[in-house]
Amino acid sequence: MFRALAVLRALVLANTLVVFGFRYDGIERPALGLTVMGLLVVWSLVVVLVLRRARRRTLPVLVLDLAVAAGALLASPLVEGPDFTTSLPSFWVMAPLLVWAVRLGWPGGLLAAVVLTACDLAVRPEITQTNLGNVFLVLIGGPIVGYLCGSLQEMAAQRDAAQRAAALAQERARLARAVHDGVLQVLAMVQRKGPVLGPEGAELGRLAGEQETSLRTLINRQDALVRPEAASTVDLAEALAARVARRPPAGSLVGTGAPVLVPAAVATELVDAVGACLDNVARHVGEDAPAFVLLEDTAGSVVLTVRDTGPGIAPGRLEDAEAQGRLGVTGSIRGRLADLGGTASLTTGTGGTSWELTWPRTGAGTAG
Amino acid sequence: MSDVPDSSDADSGSGTDAALRVMVVDDHPMWRDAVERDLAAAGCEVVAVAADGTQAIARFKAARPRVVVLDLQIPEPNGVEVTREVLAHDPSARVLILSASGEQADVLAAVKAGATGYLVKSASAADLLAAVRRVADGDTVFTPGLAGLVLGEFRRMADGPAEPENPAPELTDREVEILRLVATGLSYKQIAEALVLSHRTVQNHVQNTLRKLQMHNRVELTRWAIERGLDG
Repeated sequence: MFRALAVLRALVLANTLVVFGFRYDGIERPALGLTVMGLLVVWSLVVVLVLRRARRRTLPVLVLDLAVAAGALLASPLVEGPDFTTSLPSFWVMAPLLVWAVRLGWPGGLLAAVVLTACDLAVRPEITQTNLGNVFLVLIGGPIVGYLCGSLQEMAAQRDAAQRAAALAQERARLARAVHDGVLQVLAMVQRKGPVLGPEGAELGRLAGEQETSLRTLINRQDALVRPEAASTVDLAEALAARVARRPPAGSLVGTGAPVLVPAAVATELVDAVGACLDNVARHVGEDAPAFVLLEDTAGSVVLTVRDTGPGIAPGRLEDAEAQGRLGVTGSIRGRLADLGGTASLTTGTGGTSWELTWPRTGAGTAG
Repeated sequence: MSDVPDSSDADSGSGTDAALRVMVVDDHPMWRDAVERDLAAAGCEVVAVAADGTQAIARFKAARPRVVVLDLQIPEPNGVEVTREVLAHDPSARVLILSASGEQADVLAAVKAGATGYLVKSASAADLLAAVRRVADGDTVFTPGLAGLVLGEFRRMADGPAEPENPAPELTDREVEILRLVATGLSYKQIAEALVLSHRTVQNHVQNTLRKLQMHNRVELTRWAIERGLDG
């Protein structure tokens, strides 16, 4: 920013010198005029060098810069005679004005603009419309440039802060990954060696297994956090993982390695339906009976398969239950899916019982 | 996830381990020793161990193991690159991934690079031995979790942008059916019973899914290399 201002100062200085050269023949005190011009050249050099370092952009330097501009303006009638039309520093005053605006924001821009216009108007013999126009531009331009610079600096600061936060988070994730890996290694080792050590070891192994499951769920959830999501949709895989983890170590969820985004209301219903299937396994097959949940996301629908390894449901038993008005399984599983516009089908046999819950994505935006 | 390996099939092809040459790659000495001990106790010959990727690749070339038991989270180059390197050097070798953290993307990448087995570290010593033997016999060792990942990967490839030079591979209906059953915890034997197929047929279907994935990946890699002028 200040490098651009240095270039600008050089340009306006050249402009001022050329304008002075053209008017040289018509002025009253050429010697004094040359002195002022020399002063402007020297000061321009000095101030550009001083302003190169951020820590040297102090208030005294800025005040001095503005004072030079004001002094040159006030000297105009002395040099050019009382009825001059173009002020001595002409456009050079832009440089200090913009330095104030850039360094101090809109109040600085406004203050510098007021000072410069006041000096300019004070020495003019008569005020023309052009003068007023220039004054107006300076008064408007100073604060606006100041305001823009303030905003830019704020944005840059925010961007820096965000970048720092992102880098920190990344580093934290990297460190966490190493720790998680080590912890998982130990938990896996305890599970593996536990049963060899007798019943207490087996218990330790079981506990380690539970912790391993929840740590892995946590890691997968953290991975899911970085993915952008619409506010009203949730990752069904994550929601299911939380529900399935409530039945360790027997329940296990198999996903397809990517988040499955569905409306929050649909996710709640599907998770509850899967929960009902799992409860059913616990009730009819056994508290510790293994159950597998497979989550698939096909182009047109989300398919959930819940399978246990129990003896299966005897033919006709569900129909009997329904006929007797006990809606347990049918009501909570088939009903939920029907409400969502999906289907639930049951296959049962000697290899276990398998529920397949299908929720069609098409036109289901308002379901639930 | 309590991925359970297919231990019910464990004894199907274990007659050839008189001197099954195995290499163990893991940066945790605790694990390296435990796995090495278990394998040695079962009569396998652990011909090399390595703690990082560079060691693994160098020692593989010297020791020529038949099976590499490989942890994915090792110091650079990581398990996926090691898989690619060792199989490029000796395509007849087999890689069994033994992973603790089960990071899904890494597992999938390793399988695409040519690994034919995947096991989580919490599996028992018996499960590990069974898996090593099956992999050595040319079988694929799938966990339910891996089956789910592979199913998802085929769907993602089918949904992705169409590439005329390397069309996305597709699974047959049978393969999808079998993978879904693997993903819900059925053993090959149980699947064979349920679908009235031979055990061997089920295995072939599962192997085919991995082969398609690896083939597609190899074509992708070659194209990628040619596009960047790395083939010369």
